[in-house]
Amino acid sequence: MSQLQPLIQLHQMAESLMNSQEMQFWLEKAVTWGQADSPDTQEDTCLHLSRLRDFLQQLLAHINNMSSTTETMKRLPFLGQFLGRLCWNPYVTADATSRRLLFQCLWGLYSEHPGNAVERKANQWIRKVFCQLATEEDDAAAQALMKHMGVPPEEYHLKVLRKMVALLQENIGKSCSSICNINQRCSCDRIKATSEACVPLITCPEAAPLIGVLLQQPVTCVRAALSEDFLDALSSAYSSQCLSLEEQAVVSLWYHNLSSLEEAVLSLLECVLANTGSMPQKLEQQLAQSLLPKACAQHCAIFLHVNDIFRSILKQAEGTESVKYLIQTFTSCFRRELVLLQHQTSVSLKALFPQSPQSLLVPLLTLPSEMPREAWRHHLNWLSGSLQRLTEEEEEGDGDSSSSTRGHHKLFEAWFLLVQCAQWVQVAVQLLVTSGPEDCGPLLWLLTFYHHPTNRGHHRALQLVHAREAWDHLHSLFLALARPLPADHLQSLVTLLSPQPQRPALSPLLILNLLVNFAVFFQQSLSGSTEILQTVVDWSGLVDEAVCVLNSLELRLNQGSCISSDTNRLHLRIKALQNTLTHRREALCPAENQAHALARSKTGGSTYPHTHA
Amino acid sequence: MEAVLKNLASAAELLAVAAHSGVVEQWDKQTLSRAFHWARYCEHIFSRFHSNPEMRGIMEKQLQLTNQSLRAAFPEYTEVSFSDLSRCQHLLLVGLLNNPELPISIMKILFDTWSPASANQSEYQDVTGFCNHIIQCKSACKVLSPFTGASAVGADAEVQGVMLMERLGALLSRGGEACRAEHFLDSVLQGCEGAAEHFCLVIAAALLTTKNSAAQTASQGFLLDWLHRKHSVLQLMCSALPAALLIDLAKEHLKFRDAYCDVLKKWASDMEYSVSEGEWVQTSTKRTVSFQKLTEHFLALFEACPPLREDVEKELNALNIADGDFDVRGLSVWGDLLSALNN
Repeated sequence: MSQLQPLIQLHQMAESLMNSQEMQFWLEKAVTWGQADSPDTQEDTCLHLSRLRDFLQQLLAHINNMSSTTETMKRLPFLGQFLGRLCWNPYVTADATSRRLLFQCLWGLYSEHPGNAVERKANQWIRKVFCQLATEEDDAAAQALMKHMGVPPEEYHLKVLRKMVALLQENIGKSCSSICNINQRCSCDRIKATSEACVPLITCPEAAPLIGVLLQQPVTCVRAALSEDFLDALSSAYSSQCLSLEEQAVVSLWYHNLSSLEEAVLSLLECVLANTGSMPQKLEQQLAQSLLPKACAQHCAIFLHVNDIFRSILKQAEGTESVKYLIQTFTSCFRRELVLLQHQTSVSLKALFPQSPQSLLVPLLTLPSEMPREAWRHHLNWLSGSLQRLTEEEEEGDGDSSSSTRGHHKLFEAWFLLVQCAQWVQVAVQLLVTSGPEDCGPLLWLLTFYHHPTNRGHHRALQLVHAREAWDHLHSLFLALARPLPADHLQSLVTLLSPQPQRPALSPLLILNLLVNFAVFFQQSLSGSTEILQTVVDWSGLVDEAVCVLNSLELRLNQGSCISSDTNRLHLRIKALQNTLTHRREALCPAENQAHALARSKTGGSTYPHTHA
Repeated sequence: MEAVLKNLASAAELLAVAAHSGVVEQWDKQTLSRAFHWARYCEHIFSRFHSNPEMRGIMEKQLQLTNQSLRAAFPEYTEVSFSDLSRCQHLLLVGLLNNPELPISIMKILFDTWSPASANQSEYQDVTGFCNHIIQCKSACKVLSPFTGASAVGADAEVQGVMLMERLGALLSRGGEACRAEHFLDSVLQGCEGAAEHFCLVIAAALLTTKNSAAQTASQGFLLDWLHRKHSVLQLMCSALPAALLIDLAKEHLKFRDAYCDVLKKWASDMEYSVSEGEWVQTSTKRTVSFQKLTEHFLALFEACPPLREDVEKELNALNIADGDFDVRGLSVWGDLLSALNN
């Protein structure tokens, strides 16, 4: 303890040194702000508001650390003057956070049991300040009038505030109409100044309509830009959920302030990837709730920026299936929103996907449901061929650095577009089930490319071989009529599914996807298919992943993007497979289940209901 | 009725205790909430009975009685009248915050900054953060007021104008005893003695509130008639308010236009030619308008209401002829006015 004392003292000294220098700065600021009420002082106050908040936070910590008010006043003799001046600065008292900190500082200086004259005086002063703040009326004439009309002050002030907001709202709508006379000074600088003044009012509920109008007014004039402080303050208030904005206001905020958009996208990603989709159905809900697809549909610029964020995420974590699935779902949500808006705006595909290879745009963006089923194979063969040519071009250009970068870029963009339109990959997998050995080449290539776009160390050839092997094994397994199942095919398949350090791995998810599709679509009895699926999943331990694939397959079936003549039968089949797997999962992970049961029993739930198989 | 009177007496006692007694030391959050609940009840009583003279009289008497006994108990006691009841919560607050015995914990509740914003005045308002909201509101008004230049009269005057119209409307709708409304306006005027110009602004705002109903039109008509009878107020309006505002009023209300015109003519008729100054000046001790200004008033009025010009010029001409129809400057204010208007 004694060793800590000098350390604490040093710390306190350092703290107080820092504070007295800063104190001087802020005291001078407070004096300046109080002296004049010009537009410049207003601007200066709003500019410094967030730093002032930080300083008040520090002050508060400092005050709370002190043992008594006497000590505080000794260390910071100008503290009282400073706080007092701030109390009469409406920008400081209008803002919720700085008002709270200011009040807390004042309460911190109040002594429950004053020990001397200084503390008694401080107490008196604090009470007086609070009393004046709450009850003093500037406009005596107005109050006299209101008294005669029986309107209490609190009601009056509220009404005046609402009136002001309404007047400003009206005015903002009117400013800078369509044709701005160049010679005439337009009144749009007012908009910037008004938005600046609204910085302390962001969490004030009465000011919400005004903020909404400011955000949503069309940016027709160069001068009508919103203040950066305003946008930043809005963004941080919205992300820390101190503020609720209407949908359109949020979209406008994102449009004006890219960093708030980025934050929204990143928090969506965090949220989605945290519950690694065992429930793809929820994903669509989450995306809709986030408002991002809608925002992208309204503003092309937002869509482009969101895609840039997706690109950088993909480049960092190439193989993450959940990210790819998110991008695919996001793009289809976006397209649905776009269709809803289509009568209002018509944006060209080129504007929405400027970096993608143009020849691939329409082929990839056409939905499978928009094409006759019979044409799918031909279409996919064409796609596979085009992409193959691109990879060859990229590999050829490896010598010359500039063309190779271009080649890389083109290939990446092609792959990115494929990820966005991955419904075609799913169709490819489905078609592989019904393909013969001679047809599956291009489809396997496409599938491999989707999972492994880069040809690092020229492993693609080997990966293709493995993919072909996997297909062969699956084909044989599902064709087999004799029981028990051919062990060699099973074993080889499981080996392919398990990660091996020596050779380049083919994505197990690729194989799993194939497996599940075989189980669902191959003309084999349910019991047969179930047995194969279950066995492979058991041996490889990929239960969760298999369930996930089944779930997304079910979703696709619901949405009608894998049109089948016997949709009902498929639904039942999928359901049956899901049940088998989920029971399997519970049986395989007794530890997990026990933990669940314990949790349930603690909360007073029922006794362990599951029986082991 | 008896119950109400009893409650009123209790409420007055509550206010006295809150402001002057050391009993507040024992108050906790519940007591505080109850006290404000009582105050809201009084405000409710006021709004129900303020336009009912009979009930009002009975309640006034009760309050007077209570005041007497409270004065005896608390020497610093300020009396509570019926009209004070409309702002009972405010009075309670003022009393409490000025009471040095009020525990700091109670103050902290009132100034609490974490309470959810209550945009609607609900029946069972929580007293937590009561002062916090007031301060937020007042500060927000101050922050926004430099930007509300679009309003001709100012947001506060607009609100006061609307309130005036509402009260007037309420009085006029209750069985047409117009004298009560008249009495109300007279008392308001009396109450604004030191700030008559402000009241003029509020009247202008009231007359410019958009007419949404027949009742509002009736109230505005009533106000105009009252104004017509109060020459001093009318004159003050015409001299103190900005010309643009007067023009808006003239465009909106025919009665005002005519009254305005009459005031201008009256000003002219009160003028004398001062040889030393070489100009027509007002004879009254307080000079509110110059000949130049008078001319400007007329010109603005004509620009806003063109048909008026012909009639007024005809009138001025007739007056000039009556004055002798001389062509020389300085002999007839009417002649000089006419020539000034036509230049």
